[in-house]
Amino acid sequence: MRKGAVLAAAVLFLTVALVGRAVGQPKTIRALPPPNVSGARFSPQQVAAGRYLVILGDCMPCHTVTGGAAFAGGRPIPTPFGPLVSANITPDRETGLGGWSSDDFYRALHEGKSRKVGNLYPAFPYIHYTKVSRADVDAIYAYLQTIPAVTSDPKRDQLPFPYRIRQLMAVWNWLFFEPGAYDPDPNRSAEWNRGAYLVQGLGHCGDCHTPRNVLGGAERRKRFRGGAFPGWFAPDLTDNRSVGLGSWSDAELLEFFRTGRNVRTAATGEMGEVVAYSTSQMTDGDLRAIITYLRSLPASPEATVSLPGREAMAAGEAIYRDQCSACHRMDGSGVRRLFPPLAGNANLQQANPRTVARLVLVGAQTMPTDPRPTAFTMPAYAWKLSDRQIADVLTYARNSWGNRAAAVSAEDVAKLRRQLKPRAAIAPVPRGSMLHPAPGTLAKPGTDSRDNGTAHAGRAAAPEADRNPRNTTGPPGNMDLPKHKPHRHEAQGPG
Amino acid sequence: MPEGPTHSTVPTPGTAVPGRVVAGSEPWQPGAAAPEIASSAGGYVFFKPAEAAFVEAAVARLIPADELGGGAIEADVPLFIDRQLNGDFGNATRWYMQGPWGEPTKTQGYQTRLTPAQFYRAAIQAIDAVSTRMHGQAFAALNGDRQDDFLRVLESGAIALDGVDGQAFFGLLLQNTIEGFFCDPVHGGNKDMIGWKLIGFPGARYEQRFFLKAFNQPFPLPPVGIAGRREWSR
Repeated sequence: MRKGAVLAAAVLFLTVALVGRAVGQPKTIRALPPPNVSGARFSPQQVAAGRYLVILGDCMPCHTVTGGAAFAGGRPIPTPFGPLVSANITPDRETGLGGWSSDDFYRALHEGKSRKVGNLYPAFPYIHYTKVSRADVDAIYAYLQTIPAVTSDPKRDQLPFPYRIRQLMAVWNWLFFEPGAYDPDPNRSAEWNRGAYLVQGLGHCGDCHTPRNVLGGAERRKRFRGGAFPGWFAPDLTDNRSVGLGSWSDAELLEFFRTGRNVRTAATGEMGEVVAYSTSQMTDGDLRAIITYLRSLPASPEATVSLPGREAMAAGEAIYRDQCSACHRMDGSGVRRLFPPLAGNANLQQANPRTVARLVLVGAQTMPTDPRPTAFTMPAYAWKLSDRQIADVLTYARNSWGNRAAAVSAEDVAKLRRQLKPRAAIAPVPRGSMLHPAPGTLAKPGTDSRDNGTAHAGRAAAPEADRNPRNTTGPPGNMDLPKHKPHRHEAQGPG
Repeated sequence: MPEGPTHSTVPTPGTAVPGRVVAGSEPWQPGAAAPEIASSAGGYVFFKPAEAAFVEAAVARLIPADELGGGAIEADVPLFIDRQLNGDFGNATRWYMQGPWGEPTKTQGYQTRLTPAQFYRAAIQAIDAVSTRMHGQAFAALNGDRQDDFLRVLESGAIALDGVDGQAFFGLLLQNTIEGFFCDPVHGGNKDMIGWKLIGFPGARYEQRFFLKAFNQPFPLPPVGIAGRREWSR
């Protein structure tokens, strides 16, 4: 079985390519570029359908850099072994998809094979896009062929040896990739099948929300039970009432998909992008289909959790009261649609506390959407709380107000801190920079500083006695004021 | 992706001034913060031994320890003043410190040509010179009553110091002593929050709503500083 071990080792190396996720969310949402359908190559209906499918697939965020041309690629997707850089998918002939046929494009989505570079890395979610129908892929192709062509050739292969050898992905594909379009379940409703098609295909939800094995392959039996990737943990989507969506109503789910916010949570980071660029722009029919499908996911098993230590709870409570309660309230109830409640919060109680530890370490900003245009920010605490203190306050919040989850260890927080490298980005004022005035505005020597050129220039302060309220003859109401002590010298300090 | 908030101008009914819709988000970066720079640990860095002796003696007369608890010494006020004089405050980093030099009015605040650090140094030297001339000893070596008398005269302005305004110095010293007694402990004074505990100040707390209507009842929570309190750690 030595051959198998070698194979496993080789594949282990390759898992790098899987775990990458786009980081550095865009600050505001930009509309998709308008297609030019004047040529007779595609029908306007097909192009319009393709535009909506691009929204369903959430293609824009990964294939666009901040401030850059839409779909021109170049966004680095960091992995522990080097950055993977997204491709230019505008119809530019040299650097984009201009020379691609619809068959080439289908092969990329369906088989993970690029006409240009050969095997794609699964950071491009072809393991999900393979389920998309040929008609839908052709429509996406039609839209992408009619948007403005942009010449942009981002340096994509920045992985070090041996990960840059794309041929090795053939091994991974053989182990973990099942090509094949979505096969409808005749025993389910049309709405359920539509939801399954969207969630498993273009939506590629399982890319984050399904756990992966050590080789980076999806654990099919634990589908949608929450997945870890660098810096985040995507929560459980099953019917579990504490960590999944079991206690959410359909209306709450719908509000979250439409606006990024509801009475339970607010979308930030990766999910913020998904809401902003994808779910908030979907039709209600598709959102309801997705909800119908998610509702059918059987609840993940309840975790057995031992009680947290009393010391951790005491320290955590002290920190929570002093630092967290202003927004999340003493009783963890939060403020409706602004500051998420922590009581009953599913994200907080995930088996893997990575996301909540991240939120405390480096903070987060909610993603603005049209219905909820104002972003809210959770401040960073990395600068003032130690790893132990962050672990304790999380342990407290995960085990208060009816919550129940495993204690968080200081080691886990330390590991995440090393990975995120939080730093104070606001530089201190350099010494001397506040000196006034600029040399050119200096007054002439001998000028009286009270000669300031206004009507009040040089007026002396009123004598002390005139300003003492006891000597004034103001309205009688003034006499009711408590006696004040105007002289700082009288305030000799307490005791 | 585009960055920064977007603004659009829309007409507001009934007015000539258009309203403005602000959408998007302010610049934000993960982990960004403007941390309070904590005062360094250890002994004096600015004061020379004779200066430290004066400051310790003087602040102990301004806020003495008594039956209500510790005073300026117990609150580490001399260490607080030392750190402030060694930093931006002492070097008048953010003040306008050039001419013209008119005769100041009482309402114009700090009006010497010296930085606070230079002011302390010059004043303490002058005070010890006067004290040695009058009593044969530096201020710190005098007994408590004589120190009080000296400070009273200094405050009244009746004593002439060589090259510095003694009354202004007394005012600055008193102000800094009070600051050191009630500052956030992160700045080096108010050790163990004894100043806050004395007056019942809750410190850097953000959530007071539960207590707004609890009239005439003691505030139930202990004070907390920017850097926390002891109970935050196990």
